Amino acid sequence: MKILGVLLRIEWLKAVKRRAFWVAVAAFAAFTALPAVERVRNARSDPSSVYALPESWPDILGTATGVGPLFVGVLMILLFAPEFTWRTARQNVIDGLSKERFYAGKAVVLAGLILLFMGTTVLIGVGSTMLSPGGGGPGFIRSSDLSYMSGLAVGMLVFGSAGMMLSAHLRSSGSALAILLLYLFVEEAVTRLMLGAEINALSAAAEFLPFNLVEDLGDDLAHYPDVLVDVNADRAERGLAPLVFLKVGMLAAAALAYSASFLGRALLSMRRRDL
Amino acid sequence: MQAIQTFDLTKRYGTRAAKSVLAVDRISFAVERGQVFGFLGPNGSGKTTTIGMLVGTIKPTGGSFNLFGASGPKDLMTVRTRVGATLETPNFYPYMSGRDNLRIAAGVKGVGRPRIEECLELVGLSDRAKHRFKTYSLGMKQRLALAATMLSDPELIILDEPANGLDPQGIREIREIIGILAERGKTIFLSSHLLAEVERTCSHVAIIRKGRIVTSGAVAEVVGEGSAVLLRAEDTDALAGAMEAYPGASSVRRTDEGVIAALESNDLGSVTRYLAGQGVYLSHLAPYRPSLEEVFIDITGGAVDSMTEIAS
Repeated sequence: MKILGVLLRIEWLKAVKRRAFWVAVAAFAAFTALPAVERVRNARSDPSSVYALPESWPDILGTATGVGPLFVGVLMILLFAPEFTWRTARQNVIDGLSKERFYAGKAVVLAGLILLFMGTTVLIGVGSTMLSPGGGGPGFIRSSDLSYMSGLAVGMLVFGSAGMMLSAHLRSSGSALAILLLYLFVEEAVTRLMLGAEINALSAAAEFLPFNLVEDLGDDLAHYPDVLVDVNADRAERGLAPLVFLKVGMLAAAALAYSASFLGRALLSMRRRDL
Repeated sequence: MQAIQTFDLTKRYGTRAAKSVLAVDRISFAVERGQVFGFLGPNGSGKTTTIGMLVGTIKPTGGSFNLFGASGPKDLMTVRTRVGATLETPNFYPYMSGRDNLRIAAGVKGVGRPRIEECLELVGLSDRAKHRFKTYSLGMKQRLALAATMLSDPELIILDEPANGLDPQGIREIREIIGILAERGKTIFLSSHLLAEVERTCSHVAIIRKGRIVTSGAVAEVVGEGSAVLLRAEDTDALAGAMEAYPGASSVRRTDEGVIAALESNDLGSVTRYLAGQGVYLSHLAPYRPSLEEVFIDITGGAVDSMTEIAS
């Protein structure tokens, strides 16, 4: 436990002194807060429209899931990969951290980033409710909101662990960022190709590509079945096929498996390679 | 008791035989506690790789070593708190101040804030401690690296090229700090290209070439190895020519002072008789103690090229 405190302290110091860290946190907060601010403004001018928790969770979480995972992935790369170019990873090991503990420090950073971004999202939800003139329904959070929130956290974990793996492998923030973003485009293209092939097995496989899982976990329709029913009824009226989502538990399990394999690859890379 | 001991320590980069590089080849040496030990070699001879293995950033592919008698991974982790080291250039977070960088190192080493200020004071960086590392001159960076190595008041200090890129004033400052540490009874393992500095600072040296130790021992022993003589005669050209043909001379070179010859034995009578036989009459004959730099160049062939070799 003592070593965890040490890692937390030194990684916190490294992060808070970094301008990129605050820029990313501020940008995430701004992206998530701006739509909420707009809706609060509408609620103030139009007494019939209410914008408050728990009803506003899907809206707030929807914005957060749009940018949160990518921000965590990018930030993870910015906080990890330069340790190799600056050779500070090597110096940390020389100073007495084992390679495994150095890696554990970065895992602490990942956990901290997820908590920070989740906390920011919750604060925006609470803040917008406090500023909104009308009150919401009973309670603060519903089980569907919790499920959506967990989906956001798992999405951040997948992108963050992918960032860790790329950083440990490539040891350069530029290359790691390029590969992460390129892969997003490639996966998108592969998915379209597979879905275009209209072969059920391929389409199903495409659903299980890592960032597709994150996308599905970040879709409110996967977490709010009553909304999905309405949407599908509307689609049926327009002659469109119904939208189908895998069970959230299955999506999350597959995403967590990816995350575990990314983190495992990062650890192996740290252990095997010289600094 | 030994602070460092290596046994056939080896590092080979790459696994394919045709392309693998043997950076360190079965080196064995020992550094006693309290010694100031110079580790010398041309660029690419394996110095930094050896130090990397000692400090745990590079995995050896053969042999073993121990620090203060500890050899297993867990034991080595424990004794590393007694070691302070920097490798090649000073490695710090460029966006952080000198003091914050030391806070990181102190956090890892489990050292409190007062010690950070003491170390900053010792290396003369207290006034600039709040400025960002990237604004430091090379000399200041080197001094900050020294401060970081001293944070935990280690018994063994490993410094890789601490005077690299420094001006004479900076070199003098580093030498003074090393002197202070040596006076405090620290064991210092110092790799450097600045041979005059090493000769002044170190009590013992090892010279490494192509990944192998070619000589080691007390500085006085290493520079005193062999029997070199300084000879002068009226006709220096004739003297040098005659000595080059002398079967008992292992090397002969001309200097401003005269002709220096390394002899295979101490039989100076044979030299004078031989030269007289060649018509060369000496005006001066005296034992010659070469500098460490001369020994180094003699041993390494003056090479400053990459000494790693491709394994066959």
